[in-house]
Amino acid sequence: MTEANNRHSVFVRYRKIIFAVILFVVADSLVIGINFYSTFKANESAVSINLSGRQRMLSQRTTKVLLLLQRSVNTNDEAGVERNLKELDLAVNLFDTTLKGFRDGDTVTGGDGSKVFLTQVDTDISRKIVEDAYVIWNPYLERLRPLLGNNRNFTTAQLEAVVSYAQDNNLEVLRLMNDLTSDLELVANNRARFLRIILILGVFVALGNFSYTVIVSIRDLMKSDEQITKAQEETAEILLTVHEGLFLLDKDGKLGTQFSASLPRMLGRAIQPGVDFIAILREMVPANVFEAATDYIELLLGDRVKESLVTSLNPLTNVPIRVLDRAGAETEHHLSFSFNRVMSGDKISHLLVTVQDVTEQVSLMQRLEQAKKQSKTEVEALLRLLGGDFESLRQFIANVERALSEINRELSATQNDGEQNSHTLANIMRIVHGVKGEAAALGVDVLENYAHECEKEMVAMRESEEGVTGDHMVRISVLLEGFYERYSSLAEIVERFGAALGKTNPDGVRRESARIGKTEQPAVVQQITSLAQRIAKDQDKQVEVFCQLDRLSTLPAHIAQELQSISIQLLRNALTHGIETPAERSALQKPEKGTVQIWCENHGNAQYDFAVRDDGRGIVPKRLRAHLVKSGKMSEEEVAQLRDEEVASLLFHSGFSTATAANRDAGHGIGLDIVLAKVKGINGRLLVRSRPDRYTEFRIEFNIAARGQDEAVDR
Amino acid sequence: MSSIDEKDIHSFVDAVSVYFHQITGEKAEIKAAYLVEGGVSATTFDLTGYISFSGSFSGRVYFSASRAMVSHLLLMMKESNHAEEQLLDAVGEVANTIAGNARKHFGSAMEISVPVTAVTPDNWLDTVVSPRSYVIMVKWKRYKASVVVDIRHE
Repeated sequence: MTEANNRHSVFVRYRKIIFAVILFVVADSLVIGINFYSTFKANESAVSINLSGRQRMLSQRTTKVLLLLQRSVNTNDEAGVERNLKELDLAVNLFDTTLKGFRDGDTVTGGDGSKVFLTQVDTDISRKIVEDAYVIWNPYLERLRPLLGNNRNFTTAQLEAVVSYAQDNNLEVLRLMNDLTSDLELVANNRARFLRIILILGVFVALGNFSYTVIVSIRDLMKSDEQITKAQEETAEILLTVHEGLFLLDKDGKLGTQFSASLPRMLGRAIQPGVDFIAILREMVPANVFEAATDYIELLLGDRVKESLVTSLNPLTNVPIRVLDRAGAETEHHLSFSFNRVMSGDKISHLLVTVQDVTEQVSLMQRLEQAKKQSKTEVEALLRLLGGDFESLRQFIANVERALSEINRELSATQNDGEQNSHTLANIMRIVHGVKGEAAALGVDVLENYAHECEKEMVAMRESEEGVTGDHMVRISVLLEGFYERYSSLAEIVERFGAALGKTNPDGVRRESARIGKTEQPAVVQQITSLAQRIAKDQDKQVEVFCQLDRLSTLPAHIAQELQSISIQLLRNALTHGIETPAERSALQKPEKGTVQIWCENHGNAQYDFAVRDDGRGIVPKRLRAHLVKSGKMSEEEVAQLRDEEVASLLFHSGFSTATAANRDAGHGIGLDIVLAKVKGINGRLLVRSRPDRYTEFRIEFNIAARGQDEAVDR
Repeated sequence: MSSIDEKDIHSFVDAVSVYFHQITGEKAEIKAAYLVEGGVSATTFDLTGYISFSGSFSGRVYFSASRAMVSHLLLMMKESNHAEEQLLDAVGEVANTIAGNARKHFGSAMEISVPVTAVTPDNWLDTVVSPRSYVIMVKWKRYKASVVVDIRHE
């Protein structure tokens, strides 16, 4: 079907040229045919004219021979008689057969003695001449007959009769033969003229045909050129306008001669026709993606697999690349490449490659992801509300708001000198760490994770060689804005659902909880227990937490809160640094499941103890010394000069951590310094007791009376 | 405030820094960065120039500086006329530089107004900027100035 269509298409496209060629062949064949025919006729005419001319000569020769014969007879010249009779016979015979040939058409003896075919005369004039000639010739021949055939027995009377007849008719015969010759010449001339006309016509037809062919061909060529030019212009326009990068890729991995104008911009480099695309790809994508991409391209260029079956294998989707923008700044874009086979007949000739900038889509997906996280936050908050833990959540919200304001004040107070910046950063890290701990205790993952991400960045700032810079401050302000965004969503949802559940404050304004009441203590314990299990699971450890926190309900709210925050921090430390893995504990012949105890005791007279104790590794000065040297914080000599107590006190310095790797629970060197700051904040005293591989106990002694009687009463 | 990152903020602050460097050979350095939130206010100086944005982002970016700072800047530019009009022109020039850099940074997706300048009373910025706008305090020589970025994604 396709082949038939192709043939039809070729015929339609070239029909004018085909017509011109047929016309040429027909016209030229006609001219050649006419030419042949005319030449043949001219040949016939030449024979006729020649022989009619000979008839004139023979008529005169016959008369002459008759006269010579009469003289030879009269002079008794025997030899003359003999010779003249012979010649007479020849002349008469030739004249007679030739005349007969003119009348009927016949083979006669030609001028050179050979046999030629004499065509019957075919004009009225010639036929009349021949008839008239016979009127004279027949009686002439009768009178000549006694003299023919070398017959010498003729009488003188017979001779005189024929001589007399010859003399009487000689001129008439000569005239008739002349006329015949003239008529034959006329016919020949007419034929020649006809031939010339035909030839001229033929030449004109040939010229016309040639001109037609040339004009048609040129016009078709021009039209074809115009179409090609138009098609090229359209292609160029498309390639200039299209937003996608478009190009053809050959089997050697080379780019075609044409590609869309947007391609160089999208790939962030100058592109030349025929350039090696594979080499470009190698520079653009990681090695593993490059390898997968070349395999995929090779698969598409082969004809063993169907294109549709391997589309999902394309590794070049959402490929991040760095390109220079118009301002010369390096920006990250995401590109997707799609490949389609281009067939020539049933063979694959090229791959059509389409490159799309999907940066916006990727950005949208990220925003969608952000929105999902947002929803998750809201759901988390909702679940807390439905779980009856509303006051804790509200308290947390208030704490976060206060913490963020504090961070902002720290930021606004900086003057960007190196030391002060480091101090500001340390303060901010402490605040963020506190928020992280509270978020973890409440299970508000979104804030815990964000705080963790912030911490990671701030640790990198703290440890950067150039120190904490103004640029870092800008970054922290952006991180703070992110914190505010997450906080606002959470606060809004808490207020909205709180109102829906009838848990709004009587005055309708969000405010801090006055105190942690008795009914809330289980919630605190539950938070601590739940956080402990989560951390233990993350670190492949087992733990049981024992809490005795009834006394918290008797404390002023701000002290109870600080203790709660301290307990969370010490719990994280205990689980990360203290409690060993089950295997380590078994090796030390300890139960696989570790224990953490948290309690609060009143010793009368407003004197309280708050303690967190674990049965883990303990604080081992030897190990701490080794860690200090290994981490490069101190030389062996410096460490050797420190007493064990001094080494242990380093645990409370910002930036110190014994964890081998940072995770969201420990390792950033923030934690115990917060504990110390909070203990100072409640005018407390921190005591640390420990035995290697046995236990670590942090005990906080404080007196609530020291903060003023009125406050204690109020609480 | 949302959806702008530190690259966007730097596109404004760097314009100020580069402007001072080009004119005086001394960069304006970032001293502090914070948000207008939680009782922390934007810092308004005597003279303020601002440009407005519309399109994919909308809002304003302000540059606020003291008379002393701008006078010193004019001095460095060998400008002897320190009348208020001249001082405001200089502030407008800084705002214009911010606009130029923003055009490069954001491309054609943003429409940016011509700079507007004003003599500004104390705390004027607090009355006009949105909560959680970014305040970047810069210091040139002994003077301080503020760049306030109050832009949100539409």
